[in-house]
Amino acid sequence: MPLQSSKQTHKLALLCLGLATLATLLATPPAFAQSSPHHDVVINNATVMTATHGTIKNGSIYIKDGKIAAVGETVNAPAGVTVIDAGGKYLTPGIIDCHSHIALDDDVNEATSPITPQMIMKDAFDYQDKAIYRALAGGVTTSLLLHGSANMIGGQAVVIKHKFGDSRDALLFPNAPRSIKFASGENPKRVYGGRDQLPSTRMGNFEVQRAALVEAQDYMHEWDGYDAKVKRGDKDVDPPKRDLKLDALDDVLRGKLMVQIHCYRSDEMLTEMAMAKEFGYNLRAFHHAVEAYKVADQLAANNVGIATWADWWGFKNEAWDAIPWNAVIAMRKGVRVAIKSDSEDYNRRLNQEAAKTIRYGGATEEEALRMITLNAAWIIGIDDRVGSIDVGKDADLVIWDGYPLSSVGVPEKVFIDGEIYFDRTQPGLGTTHYKEGE
Amino acid sequence: MPRTNMLSVILSEAAAARSAAAAESKDPYPHHKTQPRSLRSGHSCPLPLPLLLLLVLLLTLTLPTQAQDDARPIALKGGKLLTITHGTIDNGVIVLQAGKIVAVGPSASVNIPANAQIVDATGMTIYPGLIDSETQLGLTEISFETMTNDLLERSDEIMPHMHTADAFHAESVLIPVARLNGITNAVVAPDSEDTLPGQDSFIQLAGASATEMLLIRDNAMPLNFTGDQRRNKGGFEKQKFPATRMGLASQLRQTFIDAQEYKAKWAAYDRKKADAAQNQTSKDKKPEPSAPKRDLKLEALLPYLDGKKTVVLAAETASDLQTAVSLANEFHLKFVLNHISHSQPVLDYVASLKVPVIVGPIYEQPKDDERYDAVYSLPAQLYKRGVKIVFASYSAHNVRNLPDAAGFATAFGLPYDEALKAITLNAAEIWGVADQLGSLDVGKTANIVMANGDPLDVKTDVKQVYIQGKAIPMVSRQTQLRDQYSK
Repeated sequence: MPLQSSKQTHKLALLCLGLATLATLLATPPAFAQSSPHHDVVINNATVMTATHGTIKNGSIYIKDGKIAAVGETVNAPAGVTVIDAGGKYLTPGIIDCHSHIALDDDVNEATSPITPQMIMKDAFDYQDKAIYRALAGGVTTSLLLHGSANMIGGQAVVIKHKFGDSRDALLFPNAPRSIKFASGENPKRVYGGRDQLPSTRMGNFEVQRAALVEAQDYMHEWDGYDAKVKRGDKDVDPPKRDLKLDALDDVLRGKLMVQIHCYRSDEMLTEMAMAKEFGYNLRAFHHAVEAYKVADQLAANNVGIATWADWWGFKNEAWDAIPWNAVIAMRKGVRVAIKSDSEDYNRRLNQEAAKTIRYGGATEEEALRMITLNAAWIIGIDDRVGSIDVGKDADLVIWDGYPLSSVGVPEKVFIDGEIYFDRTQPGLGTTHYKEGE
Repeated sequence: MPRTNMLSVILSEAAAARSAAAAESKDPYPHHKTQPRSLRSGHSCPLPLPLLLLLVLLLTLTLPTQAQDDARPIALKGGKLLTITHGTIDNGVIVLQAGKIVAVGPSASVNIPANAQIVDATGMTIYPGLIDSETQLGLTEISFETMTNDLLERSDEIMPHMHTADAFHAESVLIPVARLNGITNAVVAPDSEDTLPGQDSFIQLAGASATEMLLIRDNAMPLNFTGDQRRNKGGFEKQKFPATRMGLASQLRQTFIDAQEYKAKWAAYDRKKADAAQNQTSKDKKPEPSAPKRDLKLEALLPYLDGKKTVVLAAETASDLQTAVSLANEFHLKFVLNHISHSQPVLDYVASLKVPVIVGPIYEQPKDDERYDAVYSLPAQLYKRGVKIVFASYSAHNVRNLPDAAGFATAFGLPYDEALKAITLNAAEIWGVADQLGSLDVGKTANIVMANGDPLDVKTDVKQVYIQGKAIPMVSRQTQLRDQYSK
């Protein structure tokens, strides 16, 4: 190698310096990227609303390694752990919003084709979006970020924890089950009909969906045939051409992706349930589902949940029959019901939205709380890990100023994995892991 | 104010009682079975529910002024009265007669007329009907269905001659939905994407027709200066005047100058005409002057130029607010402020203006560098500076949630009594109807709400609404759907 010019040497030195700096950074990541060691904490003197086994007055909770290690009137914890006196305040599980589109900039809808299952919302996820913080300040600890409803088959969702101020990967819910968004009704009609394209009717909607699934069945059979031949030892066989769109639908058909369907009208819910049976996929929940009260028995029989609003109605034709009693009527008939936001406004006060179900239909306190915690967790498929105050679950918790199921309940402290991420009593934004300007 | 013809008999008591009893018998939730005793019917309803509801509907539409024993007083007895003007009365009595409140006080001291219908209000909270200071009620049914909307003329930014009263749809399905939660009066405003989109109306949420429900036509006029009025969408090729705030302001200024000149022209004409009339017989008889051409747009602005009516001045940021206020002052407009959601740095300036503020919506997103509660706490910040505040839903479908916003503001420092005043008496004062509405006082219109708890809490269920002393059937299209499907 010939001698390098001084300029090149300088460049090389800079590069080395860069690498050295990078190495240092990797060895000791900056504070914002650091996942701090878990502090074991006991919260005493709290009114613990567990969401599964009632309310414990003057209760305690022991958090170890980011998990709930004990909960009860008293807990056994080793000496030396940090103790927080909740001063009698309410303590609930962190709120879970199972229908959100925050932190995706304008990248909610790839509205260029009605079938886009290969879209992966994680690719657009902006972990620095302040909407994550504002929801956190409203007590939200986990959200399901979904594709929009322009397409009959949209994209694959991402599940996040609202650990605002941490690194991107720290905000991704570890090993969350995968979900995909389907949509029906007016929105695909409006988007594609407005361009004189298919679909512009509900007939077109369902045809487009069915055709995609039929194509995916062929693709799946092709791959199954190939796999069988390889397994038999056939070495000359060529693999079928991979297609990301059909790969994703293949996962739908094999039950590896849970299907979350945007659907307003009851007739469309029936059609969607029939199609799920026909193709054998896992229809987890209807979203919006404002007419669920008309077909609640059928939803319950098929174990399909709903993620709905407390009282939104009338903004479009298919929301004209929405009534605020929807959630409780469906719940009483055995449907698993979640109240969700679908909004960066309402995700800041989902507790109030849940409280409305007490007024409209007479949900109990615990039933109302479950609609924004455990039931929402079930819809996402993470109810074994979050959504209630039970031993072994993630310590995602909220201490409230005021009664949470009211107009005046406001989060004071929000814990995720046992750490405080928001504290209303702190100055500035009240964030503990995010500092303005860093 | 034009208050003739305000007899608003909705339904006879008997029909109201029947419908309440029918709704109750189909309701699976014990929660709803706390209807006041007086509304319960001893025997079961002889008609199938859908038929009965149809009948109720027909009655509503066809028998607007059905004879009713107007003279018979109604006494709500044993409830907790939130009077607004003279504190809370536990175990109180309020008597309604001929559309007015005729007595209010502790049970022990109020003489209930012998012929009164007595409603047992034990365990209930009773408060004045709530007033929403900006809605689109009667201007829309289904937001996405264009033909159901009469919200805004987009052809021009200067449309003061549009009257929401002309479009107000009295039979809107949205109105019973709102009043079932205790909203009895509201301002109806056009949408805000014009600087001068037209004139507001002040309505009552019950009545046999638009005529009865429109208590005041053209009660106020919005002047919007939030930036949303710019015609700057779709890139340079699609822009048209006014595409900037400079454009908006110059257009407004020109409009008010035109109106001033128009006024002067008419004044001159009136002078000449009077002159001519005076000198009709004299030798130096003057010719009859010819009248200026009428201009509805400029004519509509005159009461505002004269300071006879209120301009609702909408701005969000501190800079827009100050531009809008200087424009208003330039033409000596009488105004109240609207929104000011992002004007936190200039709240002392706001206070110095000594005008009321329609604050919010408090759910407006803070700016990215603002704390999460920057807008939630705005009502409290204004109150601390002595500013009179009111709340608005800024909505049509969600008018019923007006009290929730007031309740939420208390979690961020607004005293409870002030929050309640902001949706009752303060609103009545701003809209010039405090002699009629906004508190439980003798002589005021009997718009009364009876609920099972705190009016500002989301969980509170309104059990009965009275408008002009009449029990409103607690039925809406939504309760009908509920009853139909929850068998």
